[in-house]
Amino acid sequence: MHIRRLRTRIILFFVALVALVQIAVLVLVNLANLRNAHVKAAEDLVVGERVFERLVQQRAHEFDQAARVLASDFAFREVIATGDTATIDSALANHGKRIGAAGMLFIGQDGRVVGDTLTQSIVPRSFEYPALLGSPAARGSTVVLLGGQALQLVVAPVLSPLPIGWIVVGVPVDDGFARDLRQLTSLEVSFLAEDDAGRWRSLASTLVGAEQQPLLDHMAKWSGSGRTDVVRTGGDDFQARMITLESVGRAKVVAVLDRSLASAIASFDKLRATLVALAIASLLVSIGGSVAIAANIARPLSELAETAMRIEQGDYSTGVEVSRADEVGRLASSLNHMRESISEREARILRLAYHDTLTNLANRSKFSEQLALVIGEAASSRAGVAILMMDLDRFKYVNDTLGHSVGDHVLREVGARLVREAPDSACIARLGGDEFAVLLRGAAFAGATETALRINKSLEQPIFYRDQPLDVGASIGLARYPEHGHDASTLVRNADIAMYVAKRDKSGLAIYDPAYDSTQRQHLSLLGELRQAVDGKQLRLHYQPKVSLSSATVSAVEALLRWYHPQRGQVSPAEFIPFAEQTGYIKVLTHWVLEEAVRQCAEWLREEIRLQISVNISVRDLMSRDLPEVIAELLRVHDVPPALLCLEITESGFMEDPVHAQKVLDRLHALGLKLSIDDYGTGYSSLSYIMKLPVQELKIDRSFILRMAEDADISTIVRSTIDLGHNLGLKVVAEGVEDLQGWNLLARLGCDEAQGYYMSPPLEAEALKTWIRSYHESTAAESAPVAFGGRAEGPRLAEGGGRS
Amino acid sequence: MPNLKTTALPHSCARYGVALFAALAWTTTLAANLKVAVVDLHGRPLAEAVVYAIPADDSAAAAPVGLPRVVIDQIHRTFVPLVTVIRTGTEVRFPNSDNILHSIYSFSPAKVFTAKLYSGKATSPVIFDKPGMVVLGCNIHDQMVAWVVVVDTPYFGKTGADGAVELKELPVGNYQLRTWYPAPAFEPRVDPIHVAADGAELRISLDSAGSPLPTLLGTGTAAP
Repeated sequence: MHIRRLRTRIILFFVALVALVQIAVLVLVNLANLRNAHVKAAEDLVVGERVFERLVQQRAHEFDQAARVLASDFAFREVIATGDTATIDSALANHGKRIGAAGMLFIGQDGRVVGDTLTQSIVPRSFEYPALLGSPAARGSTVVLLGGQALQLVVAPVLSPLPIGWIVVGVPVDDGFARDLRQLTSLEVSFLAEDDAGRWRSLASTLVGAEQQPLLDHMAKWSGSGRTDVVRTGGDDFQARMITLESVGRAKVVAVLDRSLASAIASFDKLRATLVALAIASLLVSIGGSVAIAANIARPLSELAETAMRIEQGDYSTGVEVSRADEVGRLASSLNHMRESISEREARILRLAYHDTLTNLANRSKFSEQLALVIGEAASSRAGVAILMMDLDRFKYVNDTLGHSVGDHVLREVGARLVREAPDSACIARLGGDEFAVLLRGAAFAGATETALRINKSLEQPIFYRDQPLDVGASIGLARYPEHGHDASTLVRNADIAMYVAKRDKSGLAIYDPAYDSTQRQHLSLLGELRQAVDGKQLRLHYQPKVSLSSATVSAVEALLRWYHPQRGQVSPAEFIPFAEQTGYIKVLTHWVLEEAVRQCAEWLREEIRLQISVNISVRDLMSRDLPEVIAELLRVHDVPPALLCLEITESGFMEDPVHAQKVLDRLHALGLKLSIDDYGTGYSSLSYIMKLPVQELKIDRSFILRMAEDADISTIVRSTIDLGHNLGLKVVAEGVEDLQGWNLLARLGCDEAQGYYMSPPLEAEALKTWIRSYHESTAAESAPVAFGGRAEGPRLAEGGGRS
Repeated sequence: MPNLKTTALPHSCARYGVALFAALAWTTTLAANLKVAVVDLHGRPLAEAVVYAIPADDSAAAAPVGLPRVVIDQIHRTFVPLVTVIRTGTEVRFPNSDNILHSIYSFSPAKVFTAKLYSGKATSPVIFDKPGMVVLGCNIHDQMVAWVVVVDTPYFGKTGADGAVELKELPVGNYQLRTWYPAPAFEPRVDPIHVAADGAELRISLDSAGSPLPTLLGTGTAAP
């Protein structure tokens, strides 16, 4: 049985302990008692024996004195000396009675009994115990049997003046004597005699009747005089001690002193009873005491346990009252301290959990929690709730190029500005990275749009980092409850969608419209699908030949990315490239494109087709620091001469960060790559800048090429651009040539190469190979730069229409 | 017959013994002297032994009158003499020379009497009128004892320290010579003798064992 409660265990333990001790004590004391009782009884017997002997001697002595006095009494002597037998007998009788004798004898000098009041004998005889008459030492304590009685005999000589005989005084050894002895010794006294046949009989005893029998029975097996035997009766045993009395004659007379064991033990019984009572009392006291102690320990412990349970459940409010200085008190105060520090830590953790350490704003968890809370309240109060999801536009750029300390500073400043512009918000949080969220409700809800606009305006001001101005704009998406969603996650998602729209459109603020949903959903899924596209080999490169206008060769192609979506079919780059650029996924795409292009180039080289492949690079790619290394590695792996790889960067792309762009371009140029300015004429470049760039090619934007035939001004621009390019030593390529007219014009203007649907749409590698072969064959056959005129349709037209 | 005064003192006995012998030598007619020597079983002379001769024909049985008084004194709590032999009818005086009271008694059948002897005061003499052995004791002083042998014959005596005694002027004839000594359970010896004209001599040996006399006499030799 397993006792669980501490209180019970303490009580049981103590009670058991005390009980055990008490039992042990009782047993031991009892044993000692018994032993003591036996020992004491034996001692009592020994003492009793001594007392007995002394008493017997004393009695003899007394009678001896009396006998002597009597023997010297003149009248008595006169009677004895002169009297006749009758007179002597009467004198003996008289004097015998005086001294309390049983009787007397007068023994003549010859040993004959002259007077006898002791026995009933009338036969003249000699005294039975002549030895007593002779030596004085034998007298006194001798017990004899005479005339059937047990007697102490005392002998005194009678002088008149010469010894004429002895008087013998017989002192009875009877029950009275035995009783006297018992009174003084507190022992039962028995005088026993053994006859010739070895049988014992009782002469006198303080034991009554039947009590004597066990003693007589025991006499046969007595261990010896001077020893203490235990005589067993049927009931109460007793210890007995035998004293051999001096006797003369044949009969053996002994005295037996005995003591009831029970009576000996009796006093110890009282002691035992006292002990038992004491044991019970102490047991009760110990029960009481241990109950008290157990309660004293167990109760506070269970109180502490309850407090601990409360703490466990998160209630840190009530502590335990500490009123004692002992271990329990220490435990209680420790518990209190623990409670306080747990509560503190929990608060700290909560703060951390809900707190963005960098900006001191709330964090995502807090925002979600607050949003849910506010929505819950709004559901019942019918108040309005709005959230603004904000994403910084150029943060990644700042972070990557200027470093994290600058980025952190920007984030902190943005946070500060948010707090300034939205003071009445329910929650301003930084969700992570460069994403922020603002929760507005109630009155603030009404002015949500205004707040968003204010934020935008504020962020249009540059953020200064060590006097360096940084332009970091923001795109904000706004979603309202309950219009745009009934729960937190929906609201957030929709605000997110709105934000992406704002970012995409570069509008700064967009309010959610359910129409966005599908597109955004599409876009969002697009990102995932894009990832799959890269992994799942859904991407392809198509190659559009750059046809030389002067010679009949094609020595370069532009690689254009195509996505063959399993469900949607071909997805237009316009649909995912800007998206990729926004999400930064462009890097992955560019990498893929680069790799594929280099691979394809290597493959063509193996097939002895030497074609330079141009790959479009976005601004992001340009800004990434490791672009040159990546390309160098690719070229090395595939063993492609760097001159066969050309990177096309849009003019506007350069101008975002001209200084940095230059640095990267220089490095790329150092690798041996060719560089090309794409969509020239639509950016904000300066000629001085162009001059510095290590580019080899200039591509005139299609918008000019398309309108150059109708618009003389456009045509002039084109011509100027070509001249400019040439003057700068650059090759000029025209994009978007769609008809013969354009081709001819460009040829006339001196453009170097042309690219367009008129010559060929972007083709897959195999198709391109075929096209180039057939083109070379045809130009070889005609041995002149071909004008694609004469052919009603011109050389391969793109499937369908559309622009590259 | 000359009276014989006998004293208990042994040294005077010797002198008187000599005197007696001399006296006997002078009177040789019809009387003769009887010399008796008493020894104990070891041959040692036994003093204070009483010797008396009873004529065979019982002729001197009658007690004459006018017998001289005998004195048994009490000196230093002792009877003096210890042993006295007298003729029946003799008065014995107990003068008590001690300065204390002696209460004397006798339980002997020959003479049962008690007498208080006040110091320095004369008391009536006691007539011993029956033959026999009388033991005297004192009630007050247990150790005092004396023997008085009362005889019916004029011929008696007590041995001196040399253990010898001479009975003077015994008519020639046959006698019973009785010897007595104070010893417990002593049986008097009876020796028939014949006193011749020239006297008789006898040597008697007695068993004196257990007698208190030597101690009382102060001779020191305790009887074996």
